[in-house]
Amino acid sequence: MTFVGQPVARREDRTLVTGRGRYVADIRLPGMLEAAVLRSPISHGVIGVIDAAPALELPGVAAVITSADIEGYVEPFTRPFYKTIPQHVVEATGLIVRPYRAQLLATEKVFRVGEPVAVVVAENRYIAEDALELIDVDYQSLPGIHGIDEALADDAPELHPEVPGNVHCRFEVSAGDPDAACAQAEQRLSTRIVIGRSVGSPMETRGVVAEYTAPGDLRIWATQQRPHLLRTYLSEMLHLPEEAIRIISPDMGGSFGGGIYNEEVLIPYLAIRLGRPIRWIEDRRENLGNARHSRDQVHDVEVCYTNEGRITGLKDRFIIDTGAYNPFAITLSYNTAAHLRNQFKIDNFWAEGLCVLTNKRDNTPVRGAGRTSATFVCDRIVDMVAAKVGLDPADVRQRNLIPGDEMPYNMGMLYRDGGNVVYDSGDYPSQLQKALQLVDYDTFRSDQDRLRAEGRYVGIGISCHVEGSGFGPHEGALVRIDLSGHVVVHSGSNPHGQSHETVLAQITADELGVAPNDVTVRAGDTGLIAHGGGTFASRSAVTAGSAVHEASGRLREKVLAIAGSLLEVDPSDLDINGGVVHPRGVPDVGLSLAEVAEAAAPGPGSRLPAGMEPGLEVTSYFVPPTVTFSSGTHVAVVEVDIDTGLLSILRYVVVDDCGRILNPMVVDGQQHGGVAHGIGNGVFEEILYSEDGQLLNASFMDYLLPTATDVPFIEVAHETHLSPLNPMGIKGAGEGSAVSPPAAVANAVVDALRPFGVEITEMPVTPAKLWRLIREAQAQNR
Amino acid sequence: MTRDVTLEVNGDPVTDTVDPRMTLADYLRDVAGLTGTHLGCEHGVCGACTVLLDDRSVRSCLMLAVQAEGHRVTTIEGLVGPDGGLHPVQDAFSRHHALQCGFCTPGFIMTVVEYLAEGGSDDEHEIRERISGNLCRCTGYHNIVLAIQELARQNP
Repeated sequence: MTFVGQPVARREDRTLVTGRGRYVADIRLPGMLEAAVLRSPISHGVIGVIDAAPALELPGVAAVITSADIEGYVEPFTRPFYKTIPQHVVEATGLIVRPYRAQLLATEKVFRVGEPVAVVVAENRYIAEDALELIDVDYQSLPGIHGIDEALADDAPELHPEVPGNVHCRFEVSAGDPDAACAQAEQRLSTRIVIGRSVGSPMETRGVVAEYTAPGDLRIWATQQRPHLLRTYLSEMLHLPEEAIRIISPDMGGSFGGGIYNEEVLIPYLAIRLGRPIRWIEDRRENLGNARHSRDQVHDVEVCYTNEGRITGLKDRFIIDTGAYNPFAITLSYNTAAHLRNQFKIDNFWAEGLCVLTNKRDNTPVRGAGRTSATFVCDRIVDMVAAKVGLDPADVRQRNLIPGDEMPYNMGMLYRDGGNVVYDSGDYPSQLQKALQLVDYDTFRSDQDRLRAEGRYVGIGISCHVEGSGFGPHEGALVRIDLSGHVVVHSGSNPHGQSHETVLAQITADELGVAPNDVTVRAGDTGLIAHGGGTFASRSAVTAGSAVHEASGRLREKVLAIAGSLLEVDPSDLDINGGVVHPRGVPDVGLSLAEVAEAAAPGPGSRLPAGMEPGLEVTSYFVPPTVTFSSGTHVAVVEVDIDTGLLSILRYVVVDDCGRILNPMVVDGQQHGGVAHGIGNGVFEEILYSEDGQLLNASFMDYLLPTATDVPFIEVAHETHLSPLNPMGIKGAGEGSAVSPPAAVANAVVDALRPFGVEITEMPVTPAKLWRLIREAQAQNR
Repeated sequence: MTRDVTLEVNGDPVTDTVDPRMTLADYLRDVAGLTGTHLGCEHGVCGACTVLLDDRSVRSCLMLAVQAEGHRVTTIEGLVGPDGGLHPVQDAFSRHHALQCGFCTPGFIMTVVEYLAEGGSDDEHEIRERISGNLCRCTGYHNIVLAIQELARQNP
């Protein structure tokens, strides 16, 4: 491989650094109107009369629509974003998922603050927002549910009649015999661990532009990770054939999770209804409250272990506050259960997952998607066990990790896609060893006492993780050589910063014997390829990469077959170099790819071997057998200012195993960014609701993202164990880096504050919480 | 009610008629057609909309277009040389993989142009402090800091 594995410079950059990127908000069509959304100011209530007349009288307002206006024209959301859970998973886990139904515009009731009630369309956004203030809605508040305990209380109001007791999903998973293991255990401990709520916060807010130029021609630009899925939804909900709808995801300023949104259905409908292009761009306040949230779980966990710190059993009953609707059903909760045992050999295991509905924003996957919570629980518990048995956490980890020679390791439960949870590749003890060496763990330990004597509270914390990556069910790639000999790749997976243009070009370039600059990669357009998955679940390198590899390989065979016939050489004796097909070892004789493309073109001049289809174009769909498990080990070194609770991260070390590294520059970039995201989730970011369901921190002044002063340089190293589940041995690299930081930092904080005996059972560890913990510990020790 | 505003945008004198309440950011994006200036929060925290006003960085979401009367505004589009060549900061960001989705990038680059013009040093702490008014969700700032350190070392 010439280009795969190299830090090939990004093809994307020239456009982006010069300000020539084209994000949704940059799209301006002739005659375009702009929309703004009126949102519920209360968390639960009945809607009475909506008086939009004053808004309609405002000059420049083109339309105001409410639920009555779309009734019969637009269907509500009625199915979750992943269609089916295989029946054998349903049976093995006792899975219950209640019907999913969510209104596009509030009809009789509102179920959360921020739920869309009406949409205004006007000449510009300024006028549209003026008009929002002129709409009068008669709300009658109902008692709301704003937490898990409230939702499950005996006298809790039932939010939806089809969801008895507010439990939307429930399942159980187990392996081995956890009851027997715990009954026989030398020691056990139980604790409650609470995971706070956060939001993905891409730097670009969401947006939609829709244009309906003629029947059968609805064109939509949207900040959408899954354009093909949006097309399917719109086809169903607007009663249009898929062919009539083209979704374009242009440049996207991050995304990190989300799904299909109400506005992505309403704005296209309005474009049809009004016959004018319409643009809706979310503002940041809307984004923090209305882009779907994530995390927000409570775990009641029991761990059983020997006096030597060997964990023999783990039981966990966890509940997710899933908010007003649960469009991803068990994606988060099942991910949590499937990753709860992390890299450890814990053969006796039981977990029950519940998703409960409340009057808050939906809780759905964001970078990490359940693994961040699972890893925080697991890695905190391992450190608690270490403290109980009086051993260093690093020792207890080594004692419990799955040994390298036992890989691949079957965890004894099913994955959500129906496959077995089998850690397919990796060497976790070696990964930990490497991380400890990089951070120079032993030296740190010997320095720590001296620093404490100087009044400096420094600590070191470890977290490891696994990540089932490359989720299916499929991803597609079309590879074509045009008549100029240029290579074109159409990918069903579109990026939001992940460098598809560069990395997929590297794969094709190697297969077809050209340079990456001879390849154009296009993605994010349903017009490019019939089926597409998208970018989520750390899947693009695995699934789109494999599809491109397969399609390019098949195209190469066709090129060689045609060239072999023209040159009268056996195709197996041919090679492609620098865009020229030539007999192996005879670089001077050959045909350019343009010449082969011309010979392959349809028509009387075609010089194809008999029976061969014309054209140099191959489409492949890669269907992964199940997910492949990437892994990583993180070590954080922190210092706590015990007077203020302020936390400084002094060093941060990552050892990552994502199998075959396609572009090390890009992979390291994913590590850096994921760690920063994880540090944010672990230390700063927490969506807070008041007791009556009002979002308390809907600005970047109150919801804190990590800045450059909060994040250190990230020291990244790699271990490479190829996946056996795809041809190139790729494992996902996008999310794992965001999974471990909250646990690594929390473990480091506990370590730093060991003289006080501070224990952390809550994520995030904000400076205010930490200050309180230190004060409480000081008071107790006094 | 509208007002005329006369200013210089990327070296070109312009006069436009705008609503007094129109922000400088919306003016640049929607009237001047310079969509490289991005809006990330519209409340002055994320720094994506940073432009230079008389060579000083400002958040164009917190200024009205009419307040730019008589001033020189430089946006990301104004950094590219007449031959299409990248500005050294644009080039360094690309070489160091200091951008992923690219949405925050124009704001960062404008902040760094100002920092270097002031003779900013390659000290990591100083650089991190200086860019702490710009948020990035993709890069963890790692490669952004490296790019600025290299630029600062080469700064005349």
